[in-house]
Amino acid sequence: MSEQLRLSALLAHPANGGLRVVAGPGDAAWSDVVIETAEAELPAAGGDRLAILTAPPPGTPWQQDALVRRTRDRGFRALAVPNADGFGAGTRTLAGRLHLALLHVDKPMVLAKACWQLLEARDALTLSYVRKVAQSIEYHADGLADLLRHLSSSVGHGIALVDTEGVLLESGGHLDAAVHSAIDFAPWVDVARAGTGTAASVRVDSPSRAGLRIAFFGDGLSDPQLSALAVAAEVAMPAVAARILIDEVAEVSDASVSSAVLRDFVDLRGAADPEVERRMLERGWRTTGYHLAFRVIGRSRVDTFQLLRFVTHELGAIAADSHATTSGRGVSGWLTFTEPPTAQQVELHVTSLRELHIAARRDFNVATGVGSIEAGALGLTTSLSEASDAARIAVDRSTTGWFVRVDGLGLEQLLLAWTGNDTFVPAAKSLLAPLQSGGGELLTTLSAYLDHESGIAATAAALGLHRNTVATRVQRAQELLGVDMADPEVRLALHLACRAVRS
Amino acid sequence: MARTLERAQLPALARGYSLLGSGGGGATTMLELALAGADDWPITLYDLDELDPMLPCLGAAFVGSTMLLGERLPGDTPFAPLIAAAERWLGHRVPVVCSLEGGGLNGLTPLTLAHERILVDADLTGRAVPGLDQMSLLVDQVPGVIATCDTGAGGVMLVQTGRPVDLERVIRSAIIQAGGAGGTVFAGFTVGDLTEHAMHGGTVRALQLGLAFDAAASAPLTELAAALGGRVLGHGRVTAIAPDAGDPHVNSIEIGGAGGEVHRLITRSETLAFMTDGRLAAAAPTIIVVLDAISRDILEATELTMARTISVLELPAPEWWSASNDRLRRVVPSAYGIAELDGVET
Repeated sequence: MSEQLRLSALLAHPANGGLRVVAGPGDAAWSDVVIETAEAELPAAGGDRLAILTAPPPGTPWQQDALVRRTRDRGFRALAVPNADGFGAGTRTLAGRLHLALLHVDKPMVLAKACWQLLEARDALTLSYVRKVAQSIEYHADGLADLLRHLSSSVGHGIALVDTEGVLLESGGHLDAAVHSAIDFAPWVDVARAGTGTAASVRVDSPSRAGLRIAFFGDGLSDPQLSALAVAAEVAMPAVAARILIDEVAEVSDASVSSAVLRDFVDLRGAADPEVERRMLERGWRTTGYHLAFRVIGRSRVDTFQLLRFVTHELGAIAADSHATTSGRGVSGWLTFTEPPTAQQVELHVTSLRELHIAARRDFNVATGVGSIEAGALGLTTSLSEASDAARIAVDRSTTGWFVRVDGLGLEQLLLAWTGNDTFVPAAKSLLAPLQSGGGELLTTLSAYLDHESGIAATAAALGLHRNTVATRVQRAQELLGVDMADPEVRLALHLACRAVRS
Repeated sequence: MARTLERAQLPALARGYSLLGSGGGGATTMLELALAGADDWPITLYDLDELDPMLPCLGAAFVGSTMLLGERLPGDTPFAPLIAAAERWLGHRVPVVCSLEGGGLNGLTPLTLAHERILVDADLTGRAVPGLDQMSLLVDQVPGVIATCDTGAGGVMLVQTGRPVDLERVIRSAIIQAGGAGGTVFAGFTVGDLTEHAMHGGTVRALQLGLAFDAAASAPLTELAAALGGRVLGHGRVTAIAPDAGDPHVNSIEIGGAGGEVHRLITRSETLAFMTDGRLAAAAPTIIVVLDAISRDILEATELTMARTISVLELPAPEWWSASNDRLRRVVPSAYGIAELDGVET
């Protein structure tokens, strides 16, 4: 019989007048409810019903025994009465013995109203939920979590934002994993049951994130309650979707602001600027102390904002003061320590960052570089640029799992990292283009010549050529390029260009 | 027909009065010892109809804390000054003595006066009761009844009043003044008054109950109950003792029945009612006897302690009480302000 009044549903009702089970069966269902002042006014044929008495029961144990007995003798299956929590062990035992659910209620009329809503006035129940949702939207929420908290405390049931993987956010209780897995993500509205756990969920129409649902949940909710809660969820959904969007916009703008601050700071190269310092302090970024910077960049195109969100979340697990923001094609961040960390601690934190990198690689195609530990504002700049260099190298380092730490690099690697960037390589190629003709032997000879400190004999020995051949080729290259090889600046530029083109 | 009480019958008689004490009335031990040592045996016990109805009669009883009586023993003639005062007030000797309270230690009290007066087999309650205004002569408003009592240090007080409750209150105050326990003597009535306004044959009933109890003491509980002319109310272990919020003398004693039943015994100075599973099974004036389940000792209400296993029996109430509602309302639980326990539902 669908019209039944379930004890679990009443217990889950947020406005049940403080209903508690004192004795008797833990779960039960009744066909109807009878509300009277005192036991003497109850009908003689109680039937399969719940009796609610509004007047407090008598105070002596024997009168309480008699109350339980007479109520049961009238045929009632449950008795809800104020002050029943004060009943002694004997009376409770008696209630259990007579299979009478003995319930304590603080406010019997509120319980009566809850019964009425569940039995006869489903629309009133729905309306009361909807009104509560509306009330909770009225209040300012700091974020999505805050909005969910408002909703759950106002409606009186737990609320969760879920996707197929699990619970993203919840408030007012814990959504059981079994109930979560019972939720069908396809339909607009879904009612899920698993054991005693129940949930009513609605799909969230969010342009930025698909596959989300909000679910009101609770233990032992009845069908009328769940359908009313589904309506409440439908009403709450636009607010939740809007909030998700607002939060994302706020996050993106926050990230771009912090990214700008970091850029300005790095541009200062350690010089003091009160304005930048103030903006950094506003973000909680301290330049004093010791810093260990890292940079995560995409090996292919990645959503830097999503990456930042992931990194920020993961940084929470690292036991150090940490900051991160988007910067260019990736995310830059650093750990700050007030005391100089020991080598051991540094290793520990680098390991944590490596784990962060590994975790990030599950979702993003990224490479990570880690700088060295440096002190002060200048140190932070240094560490950040080191991290940046290391990340650039890491992009091609599959052997290290696309993770490079600057302490593990040679000077040469660093230099190469510098020359390996997008602007230098094409410039070097066009500079050396005249040497490409004739099988590139001129380029090979010039590189070897520069590598061997401009020594003809050493170059000839290395290449297995005659000294005159080497001298002629160098001369020809010089003429083709139109440069003066005596100039050390020119020699350095040529040397770097050769390396960049060759690598 | 007059009967003779032998010294050897004293323990059975005492046992019988303990049963009629309904969980109160005091331990008979002290009077048993006193009487066992007396030289008055055998004692002749007269029925009411064997005596001239015009003969003046008196009744004697110990009042106050029965526990205190066990600690502070009364003298060898505790009632002598009280009787002297009553006789002086009345202006004549009172030759006949009856029992005031037919239960507990006071059942034996008149026997201490048997050497000097005619002992008649009548009493004013038929069981133990807590109040002097519950004496049958006062319940029926028999005129001319006076009472004397100890006031302490040899003092005597005499009360003559038309309001029974005054008598109870004044004597209770005097007994408190006397140290919490003392004697009282009722006089100013005749053997003829007892015919209508008292229980008859209480001593004989006590003796029969005592003999039956001793004979069946180790028999199964139902057999014992049958031998006593009563029935078993319940059997179980005391699981909780809760004093009443309104009256600290009232206790609700919860008994976990052997079959899972929830029994409840409501006591004041005596056992007043017994419930099983929320249904009233017995209530005063019905006599509710509590026995230790193992030793079969007859227990007083004060001896009911946690975790004690007890058996509860019901003995029929003296019919005198139920003869009229006016009498009945003086002894049912509501007489002590205890609600919802009067009368047994069927």
